[in-house]
Amino acid sequence: MSEIVAPLQAGRAERPASAGLWSRWASGRGIGVLAIILLLSFLTIYPFAMLFYGSLHSTPPGMAGEYNLNGYRQLLSKEALGILLNTVGISLGKTIPSLTLAVFLAWIIARTDTPCRDKLEVLITLPFFIPPILTAMAWAMLGNPQVGLLNQLFKWATGVNYSPINVYSWGGVVWHMVQYSTPFLFLFIVDVFRAMDPALEESSRMCGASRLRTFGGITLMLMLPALTNAFILSFIRGMENFESPLFFGAPAKITVITTEMYNSINHHATPDYQYATAIGFGVMILMFALVIAQWRLLRGRSFTTVTGKGYSPSVMKLGKWRWATFGFCVLFFFITVVLPVSQLFIGSFFRFFGFYQWDMLTLEHYRAVFSSSEIWRAISNTMLLGLGGATLTMALGAVVAYISVRTKWRGRRVIDALAWLPWMMPGMVLGIGFLWAFAMLPGPIPIYGTIWALLLAYLALGTPVATRVMTGAYAQLSFDLEECSRVHGASFFQTLSRILVALAWPSFAVGWVLTFFGIMRELSASVLLYSVGSEVLSVVLMKLWANGLAEQVSVIGLMMMLLVILFRYVQIKILQRYVTTLGV
Amino acid sequence: MASISLQNVSRHFGDFAAVDGVDLEAASGEFVTLLGASGCGKTTTLRMVAGLEQNTGGRIVIDDEVVSDAARGAFMPPEKRRLGMVFQSYAIWPHMTVFDNVAYPLRIRRRPKDEISQRVKLALKLVEMDSFAARPAPALSGGQQQRVAIARALVFEPRVLLLDEPLSNLDARLRTQTGDEFRALQKRLGITSLYVTHDQTEAMALSDRVVVMSKGRILQIGAPEEIYRRPNNRGVAEFFGSPNLIAATARASRPLADGLFSIDVEGDGWSGQCQASEGFSPGTVVSVMLRPENMRISDGDAPAMSWKGEVTASVFRGAQRSLSVKTAAGPLNVDISAFAHPAVGSNITLVADEAAAWAMAT
Repeated sequence: MSEIVAPLQAGRAERPASAGLWSRWASGRGIGVLAIILLLSFLTIYPFAMLFYGSLHSTPPGMAGEYNLNGYRQLLSKEALGILLNTVGISLGKTIPSLTLAVFLAWIIARTDTPCRDKLEVLITLPFFIPPILTAMAWAMLGNPQVGLLNQLFKWATGVNYSPINVYSWGGVVWHMVQYSTPFLFLFIVDVFRAMDPALEESSRMCGASRLRTFGGITLMLMLPALTNAFILSFIRGMENFESPLFFGAPAKITVITTEMYNSINHHATPDYQYATAIGFGVMILMFALVIAQWRLLRGRSFTTVTGKGYSPSVMKLGKWRWATFGFCVLFFFITVVLPVSQLFIGSFFRFFGFYQWDMLTLEHYRAVFSSSEIWRAISNTMLLGLGGATLTMALGAVVAYISVRTKWRGRRVIDALAWLPWMMPGMVLGIGFLWAFAMLPGPIPIYGTIWALLLAYLALGTPVATRVMTGAYAQLSFDLEECSRVHGASFFQTLSRILVALAWPSFAVGWVLTFFGIMRELSASVLLYSVGSEVLSVVLMKLWANGLAEQVSVIGLMMMLLVILFRYVQIKILQRYVTTLGV
Repeated sequence: MASISLQNVSRHFGDFAAVDGVDLEAASGEFVTLLGASGCGKTTTLRMVAGLEQNTGGRIVIDDEVVSDAARGAFMPPEKRRLGMVFQSYAIWPHMTVFDNVAYPLRIRRRPKDEISQRVKLALKLVEMDSFAARPAPALSGGQQQRVAIARALVFEPRVLLLDEPLSNLDARLRTQTGDEFRALQKRLGITSLYVTHDQTEAMALSDRVVVMSKGRILQIGAPEEIYRRPNNRGVAEFFGSPNLIAATARASRPLADGLFSIDVEGDGWSGQCQASEGFSPGTVVSVMLRPENMRISDGDAPAMSWKGEVTASVFRGAQRSLSVKTAAGPLNVDISAFAHPAVGSNITLVADEAAAWAMAT
């Protein structure tokens, strides 16, 4: 006993010294918090302010001009209203079928005895991880009204000289968006299905309600807040979407907000920056209003249906119908993944896509891609930005989440709000904001037109998701774990590294892969911020496509697909191996 | 009110038998409790009666109506069985008010509006929740939710009431009170009830009959007193409290008037008379069950049925004092008055009430 007491008493004698350390550390903490606030402000408030400045100033930065409201005047035109209605219409048009489909798929996976559900779940969610630009190009080749593979197959099969599919249409834009929204919404909804206490449904059955009535009256009603949330989120993302309207809307003269911004900068004789920034600012206000509306609508309406017990929700026996539901899931995977990937595969081996004859087989596109220094540079840029960007973003997210949920430090609310702000900024809007922001920086800070510009933009775009992932990870770890470590003699930083990091790293890894995917697929901000030498793959793909080199696009697309599958595989392995066992 | 009959009911998951050949009859108006440790199959049995799970073997009959017969493949879905059920988590729907929750079974049955409001009020009054009708369900405490769950299960006058550990989420004080209130209500309405619990005190206090289950099988069925005093085997005996099971050898058996047997037994350094449900041939090794509360410290005399030993531990429990005593027959637990306090290490003599001694096959 006395042996244990002795060192403790020795420790007490040191106390005055450690108190000094404490106050020094506390002031260091203040500086750290301030530094994070400054960094986050630079990533959010600064481009946002520059956007506002740009919308009021008649010329780009560095040129003589005047302050006026011309940009906003243009926003109030009838044409602009049409574009807004177009955007809303397309976004609603894709959200409703996506949500229906996602609920159905989530029900199949979480609540029926459909065979191989765990594997089907992986397949169904895969489209979400594929860069949209890849499937956009693949579908442009599949559904081209003249030479599209699907139309050719139709003509060959029926003998009728008629093309049933034209992706360059309103339907084409919506269809491409649905492929992405469905797995996104599915990921949300399937967990709501899973987390529900089965007794809530069983008690309805005991009260005399049939299965169908229970589903409509209890299950769906309990999910209503989550479904509303998912609906609004998906709607917002639809308004921000750039790839689908760019590829399928533009050729059919269908313009939405993002493509209008892009066009006013890239496709006008003189770029109309003022108009573009005015739209950007308008979109921000719109998004802000939507998010506030969402928040007010859902306030106090999230039902806690989870009792914290691990249970397997009752699974419905479908009998022979389970093969129909199985087939439906496989069909979804086939259409959203197999079909476009096959198109890329086929397209990469023929001299010209659309002319599929034996004598047209070639490897020249592979040679062209592998010998192009521009493409290699884009690959290395993308990998560099992906690896560095994902690491930095997750590190920032981990710190921000820690400060906002695990400490009572002053300034934590500011940090939390700043990190969440880019959530409302579409990539295109953030891109323009950064364009201005970097151009306005004093000469000695040469970010404009370099790879750093892209890195900062990715950092800003990724922070909300990174923070959310890490917040979720910390929330699962009880405070006791940290406090117990402190009581047993570990310092703050020892506790951080040995307990928190040790327990939260699987979530960090999963979030890292998610952020990496986000960077790899990013197009709307990249296309505004790149310059010669700092191109990324998505930008190069777009340029090749614009030059009519769909075959080389296919080659690069296939390589990106391999990367997607590899990373997704690693992510799932981490999730299965660590996250479930830790209960994170 | 209805009777329930389970005939050789089984539930297999692959090779694993969660419930294995259960036979059980509950008479109309009876309160029957399924008691056992977690995983013993009691909840599965209840859920099979409810129709939430399908039995893979045997027949379930409610009120002369076969609701499930595995051999014929007949299965009536839960909503057709007209049974009320109270879940462990109460399963109060959070998107409805208290009134809507209780009215749900009646709305499903398309009762007229007046009747619904009248019957819901009556049901809520029954559980003393009538002043909460307009409350949203999430604004209720655990005990209140439990009452609403009972009201909802009773409002449509079900044939049988099924309860799956309804008290386990309440704190100890509320648990006893709610249990007693519920038992009074059940008696007043005379509704047949099948109740699942792992808590032996709860089972004894509430039930007409207790069914002790283990590993998917029924160990014993009987009135609470019978199960407690005259267990069939060591498993049942050990389920209630921590009885002393002392090894002994039967010397002679005599049948008694009430169908029981009187057994002369002899152990290590002691001998005596106890009762048993069967006769044992001389020389058979038996276990003699003596509950701690039926033993005491001798005030001097040392009859045949006594044990000398040394006190090894003494724990004050408020209402009584628990002693551990090392004897030649093994360690014995004794509950004595809290005012007596023999020192640890002192030697004492223990005697037992012969009427409480119960012999079982080992």
